[in-house]
Amino acid sequence: MPLSTQSQTEGDNYVLVASLDNVRNLSNILKAITFKDHAIFNATPNGLKVTVEDSKCLQANAFIQAEIFQEFTIREDSVGFQVNLTVLLDCLTIFGGSTVPGVATALRMCYNGYGYPLTLFLEEGGVVTVCKINTQEPEEPIDFEFCSTNVTNKVILQSESLKEAFSELDMTSEVLQITMSPSQPYFRLSTFGNSGNAHYDYPKDSDMMELFQCTKTQTNRYKMSLLKPSTKALALSCKVSVRTDSRGFLSLQYLVRNDDGQICFVEYYCCPDEEVEEE
Amino acid sequence: MKCVIERNGVKVFGKAIHALARIGDELWLDPVMKGLAMRSVNSAHSAYACFLFSPLFFQHYSPDTGPAQDCGTVKCKLVMKSVLPLFRCLATIERNVDSCQISINLPDNRVIFQFHCRHGITKTHNMGFQESEALQAVFPSHLCPNVLKAQPRLLGDMVMHFPVSQEEITLSMSPLRVNLKSYYEDESDQMKAMHTEMSLEPSEFDYFQVGVDSDITFCLKELRGLLSFAESHGLPVSAHFGAAGKPVAFSVEDMVLEASVVLATLVNPESRTPSQATEAQAPAALRCGGVAEPTEGPCEADAGPPQAQEFPSAGELIASSQGSPVFSGTALMREFTRTGEDSDRLRTPRYTHRGRGITTPPSSKVRSLLFGAVSCEQGDGCTSMLPSLVCSSDTEDGGEERASGAL
Repeated sequence: MPLSTQSQTEGDNYVLVASLDNVRNLSNILKAITFKDHAIFNATPNGLKVTVEDSKCLQANAFIQAEIFQEFTIREDSVGFQVNLTVLLDCLTIFGGSTVPGVATALRMCYNGYGYPLTLFLEEGGVVTVCKINTQEPEEPIDFEFCSTNVTNKVILQSESLKEAFSELDMTSEVLQITMSPSQPYFRLSTFGNSGNAHYDYPKDSDMMELFQCTKTQTNRYKMSLLKPSTKALALSCKVSVRTDSRGFLSLQYLVRNDDGQICFVEYYCCPDEEVEEE
Repeated sequence: MKCVIERNGVKVFGKAIHALARIGDELWLDPVMKGLAMRSVNSAHSAYACFLFSPLFFQHYSPDTGPAQDCGTVKCKLVMKSVLPLFRCLATIERNVDSCQISINLPDNRVIFQFHCRHGITKTHNMGFQESEALQAVFPSHLCPNVLKAQPRLLGDMVMHFPVSQEEITLSMSPLRVNLKSYYEDESDQMKAMHTEMSLEPSEFDYFQVGVDSDITFCLKELRGLLSFAESHGLPVSAHFGAAGKPVAFSVEDMVLEASVVLATLVNPESRTPSQATEAQAPAALRCGGVAEPTEGPCEADAGPPQAQEFPSAGELIASSQGSPVFSGTALMREFTRTGEDSDRLRTPRYTHRGRGITTPPSSKVRSLLFGAVSCEQGDGCTSMLPSLVCSSDTEDGGEERASGAL
């Protein structure tokens, strides 16, 4: 492979080397969380986690397990850095976004450690591009303290049914209200816009509902502007799990299949906008 | 009011909303015993559309019209921008929606659209409505000297040749042929633009009746919605019109619905001077008034017996739930024959190329016959002798001689 000869000229100081035969297996997932410029990368022997945050109220994480990569070598327990995600995506898609069957762009991502840029080697059809992106000190991602023991309500839906709802959401509404309940209306998305209210009800016995575990009735509101970016992740996913905890914090977990059918995860955490009295 | 539309009907209903959205920014909902009427009018009051769905269209229909006032007779005005998104993607509706329930909740001033979809999913939209006078345009299409009826495919093929940006077209009718051509008011536009003209023989129409040779110029854009609806439904389209300056009504109907679009037409400047135009109006009007049968021109199509009223004037007279007075034809004709000063230079923004403002070049005028709206902005002290064809339902006087548009 032409890329392996390249790396030798830079020395063997990499703390992280990750290779993909098809860069889209990384770029597509990253597009689902690109609503802010900066992303925190954290690599462990398990794989790569990319975090994007907004106003301390929203956090999106993309997980790409080590098994997805054709090569994933890490020399430390944890490697972290921060890069401009927009720039990174521009580089990853430097050969263009369109897919021609049989032609894929290969990626080799290398990082020398603290203070060094993130180096990307991209190759398509014999043409190689080298990109070096400056890295910054990684910020500590917010810990939303969302743990499974605190989860009051959980549903798993097939994404197809939610995609339509999200694409139709009344954007003049400032909030998206989510009601989850062991009784009617079971799972409801509501908006309050200029023209009036809209409610999307999913009954617990719908064939789109894969799992329904609601213990108590909860209604929470979340800023629409914070949740709207999650539509990208929804569009890529085949299933989504919606969980709320006793504080009303929302966890959305999306199961995404990449081009090769492998599974990756994207999750969104969101703070509630205001406390609504539980019925 | 409460009604339920089953699956196939929801798409038809949605298409009607699309057609109405082409006309105006507001949607009037008027549930009456005869059915549910949906109407819209453009801001210039030069285009009006009405779709009437009979009770048979619905799986369930209760207009809730009880005795006289307030029990449920509603005059409901919605913002089109709120309603159209609910029916925007017709393909998705066709795939997903099992039924749609529409109800009007008077105490809360809300209209509720509830869609029951696949997989048990329910979508409910509550929107506020404005109480409003009923909207109704009266146009005695059975008195029109010229009538055309064509299969939707024919009309679709005809308008397809005009670019989507084409604002107005001129339809010319004579005993020998029907002509359609693009219309440009501006000299400069005439030089720059592509002109399209086509000609059809009477035999291409299902019904062809020419009472008076005429050239009418109207806004094509506003008509496209109805044509698209007709094509998707496979319904023939009828056109009733007279001389230039009088409105033209396009209509479709089937067992369960009627729809019509009434458009104002330009007084054609090319063939006559403005003063002559006025006089030319009168004879035409007289002829119009006097016509009970198409005596004027030979009718070359294989039409049936020469009756003026081959088919019911679809959708033209729909008594609103308010029971507002409906014009009598004779009163209307009296108004038409009273030519008066043609100083009504209502130049509507629609007929003016953008940025030119509302000044009227002497060569062309728009007669907004539909609504007798006189813009006092014109400032030349014009008084309209034109009747208002749309009356607000709380007027007593039958709407004659109103100086200002009722809406």
